[in-house]
Formats: sequence, C-alpha cells, structure tokens
Amino acid sequence: MKRTFLTLLATATLTVTLSAQKARAPKEDNLAPVDNPNVSRVPESIIRSDSIVKVNATSQSFSPHIPWQKQPPGARRGLGVVLGGRRILVTAQMVADATYIELELPESGQKLPAKVLAVDYEANVALLIASALPVKTEEFFATLKPMAVDASARIGDSLSILQTGRVGDLIVSPMRVSKVMTQPYVVETAAFLVYEATGIIRSEANSFTLPVVKGGKLAALLLRYDNKNQVATLLPAPIIAHFLKDVEDGKYEGFPSLGVEIQQTQDEQFREYLGMKNDVKGAFISGVAKDASAEKIGVKEGDIVLSINEFSVDSRGDYQDPQYGALSISHIVRGRSFVGDKVEMKVLRDGKELMLKGELLRKQPDSYLVPPYIFDRGPNYVMMGGLLFQELSQPYLEAFGGDRQSGAVLRLSHIADHPEEYEKQGRKKLVFLSAVLPTPSVQGYERLGGQVVNTVNGQKITDLAALADAFTKPVDGIHTVELKEFPRFLHLDAISVERDNLKLIGGQYRLGSLKRIE
Amino acid sequence: MKTHFLVASFTALIAWIPLSQAADSPEVSQAIDTTSGEWEGIVNIDVSVLVPDYREPWNAGQPSGGSGTGFLIGKNRFLTNAHVVSNATKVVIRTMNDPEPHPAKILFIAHDCDLAIIEAEDPSAFEKLKKLELGGIPKLNTEVIAVGYPIGGERISVTRGVVSRIDFRPYSHTSVDNHLAIQVDAAINPGNSGGPVLQGGKVVGVAFQGYSGQVAQNVGYMIPMPVIKRFLKDIEDGTYDHYVDLAASNFAIENPAQVKALGLDTEGQGVLISDVEPAGSAGGILKAGDVLLAIDGNPVFNNGLIRVDGDLVDMNEVVERKFAGDKVNIEFLRDRKRQTETITLKRFLPYVTLGNQYNQRPRYIVSAGLVFQPMDRNLMDANDMRNPLTSYFFDNYMTDKLYKERPEVVILTNVLPDEVNTYLSSYRGSIVDEINGVKIRQLKDVKEGLAAKNAGKEDFIVIKLLENDRPLVLKRALAEAAHPRIMQTYNISEDAYLGNE
Repeated sequence: MKRTFLTLLATATLTVTLSAQKARAPKEDNLAPVDNPNVSRVPESIIRSDSIVKVNATSQSFSPHIPWQKQPPGARRGLGVVLGGRRILVTAQMVADATYIELELPESGQKLPAKVLAVDYEANVALLIASALPVKTEEFFATLKPMAVDASARIGDSLSILQTGRVGDLIVSPMRVSKVMTQPYVVETAAFLVYEATGIIRSEANSFTLPVVKGGKLAALLLRYDNKNQVATLLPAPIIAHFLKDVEDGKYEGFPSLGVEIQQTQDEQFREYLGMKNDVKGAFISGVAKDASAEKIGVKEGDIVLSINEFSVDSRGDYQDPQYGALSISHIVRGRSFVGDKVEMKVLRDGKELMLKGELLRKQPDSYLVPPYIFDRGPNYVMMGGLLFQELSQPYLEAFGGDRQSGAVLRLSHIADHPEEYEKQGRKKLVFLSAVLPTPSVQGYERLGGQVVNTVNGQKITDLAALADAFTKPVDGIHTVELKEFPRFLHLDAISVERDNLKLIGGQYRLGSLKRIE
Repeated sequence: MKTHFLVASFTALIAWIPLSQAADSPEVSQAIDTTSGEWEGIVNIDVSVLVPDYREPWNAGQPSGGSGTGFLIGKNRFLTNAHVVSNATKVVIRTMNDPEPHPAKILFIAHDCDLAIIEAEDPSAFEKLKKLELGGIPKLNTEVIAVGYPIGGERISVTRGVVSRIDFRPYSHTSVDNHLAIQVDAAINPGNSGGPVLQGGKVVGVAFQGYSGQVAQNVGYMIPMPVIKRFLKDIEDGTYDHYVDLAASNFAIENPAQVKALGLDTEGQGVLISDVEPAGSAGGILKAGDVLLAIDGNPVFNNGLIRVDGDLVDMNEVVERKFAGDKVNIEFLRDRKRQTETITLKRFLPYVTLGNQYNQRPRYIVSAGLVFQPMDRNLMDANDMRNPLTSYFFDNYMTDKLYKERPEVVILTNVLPDEVNTYLSSYRGSIVDEINGVKIRQLKDVKEGLAAKNAGKEDFIVIKLLENDRPLVLKRALAEAAHPRIMQTYNISEDAYLGNE
C-alpha cells in the first residue's frame, strides 16, 4: 500500500514535454479577420485623417517552457495616433515582444521603421518614435499633425472609432459610452479605468489597436471588442493622459496603487458586528499587501475605509466620481494620482476614526515573487547538465492552459496566489526544477519537473543568480540539490555535469546558452 | 480509466455481440457438467444499492442496483468483491441450477483490498453445495478460466486465457490502494466481479477490474491469493483491521552521483527514502534522505523491489502480508552509517480521506442554512469544487502534511438561501478555520464552535474562513430564529449527522 504515496507524488510532477508550448492558445493577432478587399466601388470623396498612421509590428515571444527558444513570430497590425514630438501612441499589447515595428502612411503606403520610446504593460500604453534617418523621418511626418487628447468623455457621450480602408480612406463608426468602470487590461494585477461603449466595428485590416475620437480629439484606444454583443471596451483618455504626463519628465514611474483588498459592508449583521451605525458608509479592508502604500501609511486589516483624499467611500467600496459617478476607489489612486502624491485615508478602527497620511507608491513589476508578466525578454533559466531551473512566472503557468486543478501546476499556482510565506523565507524569485533533458549526468531524474528548490550545495536559493553561484561550489565533486518536495534530494557529478553542459550547447536541443539571468 | 464491472454493467456494453454457443473448441479438455455440482458453489449476487448523496447529505440518496459473482469458500461463507456489495441495502444469492433468490447479508467487507464475505440468512439451501478449493499464485503464461455471471446472458459463463503479468496495481475501488494484482487475458466483463479465476480446479484469484473503453485489449485483473489469504487471516478474529503501511515514499537510486553522495558501497542495493509521513508507522524512525537497504532481511534493490519467492516485487509486499501491530525490521543507511530499527506497523488514516468511501452516511452540520461537511473524495466528486484553495488542500493533503493541523478539513459546502444568510452565498466552497474562537480541526468542532460564545461579541456568531476574506457574521438571535424555518423550507429533518461516535 505504501506505493500509494509514490504513485500520488510521482503523478504530481510536471509533464513538461517539448511540445508543451503547443498547449498555449494561439494569440488572436488581429482583432478581426481582414475583409475581402475586392470592393469595387470608388468612394466619391475619401475622408482622411492626418493624425493616424498604420502600425505594423512583428512580435515573437520566448517559449515559457523551453526558455531558450522563441515561439513562431506573429504579426499585429493596428492604427497609431500621432502625438506631439513625432511620437505615435499605441497599446502596449501591440508592440509587446516586438522584433520589428514599422509605421505606414495609410494613403501612400510610405513606411518608416520605429521603436518603443516608453511602455507600460499594466496600463497597456506605448509610445513609438521613428528609428530611421532624420531626413526620412522628416519626410514621413511632413503631412502628419499631432492629435490632442480629450479626457472629457462621460457616460452617454458619442464617440467615433476610426479605421482605415484599403486605400487609406477613413472609416468612422459611431459608439456610445454606456458604462464606466475599472477592470484589468492585459495584466491581471491591476484594474484601470475603462469605458464600455456600444456600436458596430467593422472587420478591417489594421484593427488590433484603434483610436477612438471625440470631436477630432483622442478620447480612447480600443482595448477589446465583443462582436457578438457589439460592446467595445476602451482604454480611456484619462489613463493615456496620465501615462503621457508621467513620461514627460523622462523618468517613468508608473501608476501608483494602494495595496488593499476590500469587501462590501451592505450585510446589516456584519455592519452591526463592526459597530457601523446606520448612516456610516465605508468598506471593510480584508487584506493589506506587504510594503504597499496602504501598509506604509498604517492601514490595518479589519479597518473600515471611510474616505480617500476628499472622496467618501460607500459600502460597495465605490466613491462618487464627479465625471463618471460611482466608481471603484482604486481609480482615486491609480487614475487621479501619481507616484509620490500625498494620500489621506480616513478609517474606522475599534469604533474610532483615524486619519492616515502618507505617500503613494507603486509596486514595481520586478518586486513580485512571481512576476505577473514578462515581455521583451526571455524567461530566466539555468541549465545544469540537463536539469532546467526556472523562476516561476504567470506566463509560465498560463502556458499550461486552463486545467490547473491538480498536480505540480496546481502547487505552483498556489504559490503564485500565496507568495507571502515564500517571501518571508527571503526568496526574491521562486526557483524550481521545471524540466529535465536526458543526459548521462541526470540518469534517474528524467521524469521530474515542478519541484521547488530549497538549497544547492547547502546554499539557500533566493533566485536564479543565487542558484548559478551555488552550482560553482560542489562539495567533493558532487552537487547536492535539495527540493521542497519529492524526491527531496538530487545529486549530480560535477565533472559529468560540465561534460554534459558542453554537449548541450548547440546540441540536439539547440541550446545557445546555458543560462539567462536578466 | 479503470472501472468497476459492477458499475459499468448499468451504463455501457449494451451492444454485446453474442458468441456462438458452438464455440466448443477442439482442445477443451475438461467439459463441465453443470449438474455435477462442481461449480454450484459459484453464485450470482444481486444487490440493491443506495448511493449516498453528498450534495444533500440529509437525504437518503439514490437507489440503484447491480449484480456480480461470488463463490463458496466455507460453510455458508461466500467470497466476493467489496465493490459488488458496497452501499447495499439488500443482497440476494442465486445458484446456477436454482432460480430461487436467497437473502444474504455482509459479514466482512474490506474496501482497501476490494474483498467481502457474505452469508445466506438461511444456510439450509446451500448445505449441499461444494466449496471451492483455494490454490496459489499461478505461473506466467499458464492457462486460467474465469467463471461467473457477466453481462450477455443469465446463466453461468466461462472464459479462458493465460496469466499475462503479476504486478503491484492500483485497486480502483478506493482509488488510493495498491496491492499485488494478476493480469489475465481471459475476457473479464461486467458481472464477472467477485467470481473465481480457476486453474486446475482451484481458485487462483478473484476477478475484479479491467480497462474500460478502447485503451487496452484483453486486459483483465484478478486479486491473487496472497491478498485473499491475508484478508481471510485478518478477519479470523471477527473484525477486519485493514492494511498497514510504512507511509514513506521512495525514489529509485539510479544516478551514479547519488550512489557516491549517499556513500553506497552496495552494488545496486538500497532505495532513497524521499518522504516519511510523521503520523505513519515509519514516522520518527525513517527520515527523508535515508537509504533503505533491507526489510526483514530481504535486500531492497535501488528501484524499490525485493525478491519474493523468486520474483521481483515491490518491497511493500513484505509489509502487505503483515497485520496491525506486527513488526518489521529495517536496515538503512543514514549519514553513511548502517542502522537497524524495528517498526511497529499500523494503518495510516489520512489517506483514507483521499479515496472513495462506502457504506457511510455523509456527515454534516446545518446551521442557519450554512452547510458544513468534511473534505473527502466523495464530497469532492459530488461537488464540482472550483475553489482553488480547496482543490489545493485536497490535492496536497498528504504532500504538505495538512492532516497534522486538520484531521478533517471542514468546508462550508452550501448556503441555503434565506434572509439571514443572503450576503454569505458567495463564500460557498471555502475552508472554515475558526468559529467563535474555536479552531476547526474536525467536523464536530463546528458544533462546539457554534455553541461557544464569542468573547466581547456574545450576540454574534463569527466564522473565519481560511481565505483572507472577511469573517462571516450572523446575529445569534436571528440565526436561531431562522434555523427551524430553513430546516422546514429545505425539507431537512436532522440538522447534523456526526457519525456513530
């Protein structure tokens, strides 16, 4: 019966195969299929916009499971908005992992290579500039005029979505803003302001990113479109303006966050328990993130937040925005404030009101134990004689697809959701054995994968750099790897590992390098 | 992937192609005269079943039925599979030449090895039947026949094949037990379950499982004699004490660096101990990193096998044949030093939670519409648990030794909607950590917690979940007033079943 354990534990290991990347759903590279261009009718008067260019990007990400390899390249085509200083605004998604970006004049088809000037993947906005000779750039921008940003849109306003036809003609589709709320853009960690608008968007080429205008000024960028319900989700001007303002001083700081989890307080019994009188509004703080703004100013779990800055908080965790009405309090911080701004929070604690004050911070993307996203670089890895070590990231987990209900994937996902315990151990990243390539030095370990690494040669492993360092110090010619789980201990012969490392470089598995630590 | 024949007989295999009766192969040596009485001890067992409802645990469950095979091994003692008579409300025996149904009852049932003994309530009808003789382990590639009452007809059926493989296999009845099993290529079909597999007129196994679907051809399994004999010995004292377990997992030592690092000078001997359950038999004696060299004097090879009766089998076979309270001597290497220890064997309970359980009424507590149930496989299978923390707890209950802190993980499985709990419905599926300051380590703690007064907030019932959510709060007076109303509305007659304690 004891074999039971072996079976249970062994089945919990990852079955990372070299075809694992196929499990990743193909990215929807174009928002909509390209229309059949056999439109014979010649429009009598072509409407044009002199503030819009086509943006064609080729992107290629690294394989999360085979980190030395790149996925097949894909193309994304959208429309960019010309801003002052010959800068082009697009969504960050448009140029994520880009290998080549070019701008194209819709009518003449003239092209110009471009590069990313600034990008924020959480806020999903990017600025491009030309990467060509000045004279070519001059010529390209000669007929273009910058578009102004207009953050005044409200619920009920009419907006226009701009698309270009085959010959550069402008296609204008009306949209009406029906809802304003907050939700994550492409990265799940942060919710931002969005407009939801209803209307029909045509299937045209270059629709991955589309400008949305109000009276000739930029009101939003298209984030996603649900063509069944004809609902467009728009990345609104206030967020674009925030990004542009932040970029101005040359030092990009990003969007601040509070770092609290809140719960509603509409439940009368709960309100009575908390000592909230009938007329008291406010939301219950059920979690405070370590080292985030809220913790730094003294917010504690169990507090009831009554107001933030000048806005009172209701029992849903919303405030009354002067422009949009009821909106999540996250927008007070993320949308209306900058990193370094003062914040004031009034909380109810033990029946007493407290005023807490301090500065707003941003949780830096690289400060996560499990990074929520990795763009424009390959995942870190270390190969030792066939053992592939990686740092856990959300893209790694997402590459397994939907089913994460059991085994090592569930265990790793659990760590990603509950990083606190591991952060307390002093880990900066979560290093784990992700796969094993069959070499003589890893004989017997081929079926492993998914085990968290605790120590190597007695040294604590806080990230891959620490692991690479520890592997330089074998004891009596042997490396000892201590794993958090089954089978707990692996031993490797240091000399045979070096021999296998040499064979792996450029060998059957096409390894160009034994590690990537960035 | 594996399925019980009994269960499958209700669902699939309707498109059965009848084989010609004229299949009298020229080589049939022992034609059986069915009136001679030689096989009269092989009986059909018809069962009425009540499958417990873990979603509405206060309900009786779903009535169902099935049939299998059993055979006489002693005076009014019929051996069959546990899965044939699991959750039975009525058991009836029929012999091959007598259509009369004879009511029977279960004497012993061993879910961990899928065996049971039943007896007829009135033994007189079976007094003249010949019991079947028990044999030994058949050799590979020797001929066996499976006899029973599988689907495809009413009368007794015989199929023939050879012994294909002898190996440790998972027993799918509980899904967590592994024992020795013998694979045969004789057709074993739904209804064969519990029937004898014979060689030279003697029983060499009990047919019990196979593969469903198209994954394999001609693969059937029988429970071999060592498992059957162990069961029969275990029940000699009138109770079944279950299998015992070392509760340690091992990892094959194949890597030369591992051999060197662990200081092994024994060519091919010794397996790495990679995990030891603290609450199991080996807890506190073996530890991860030890190298197990021998069990009861049998050398353990680097892949965890030992040689028993000339065959290589899993080292656990030594433990498998022992009983609760028996001892086993182990020799192991720790920090390059040879040591010996004696382990007293016992059953390891936490793993039972992870397997299918039978003949049990679901345990629960309902209070003000909140339904509390202990986490186990039956519950997890009945509810499509999408709460990631609950899935994690179930999947890692042993890996992370979660059983140490929570012998039972209590889940708020349902919130029966009422005015009093209307804000709590979204917390369904969460793990309950504390009620009114009482730590919830098992279901009965819920009862204690609900009765406890919350210091400083006596008027409230405060339930803390394991998630970093808000506490669930009910005003005691409102909850108490709502409770009878909810019980009546949702047709619940008892507000708790805590088991026979």
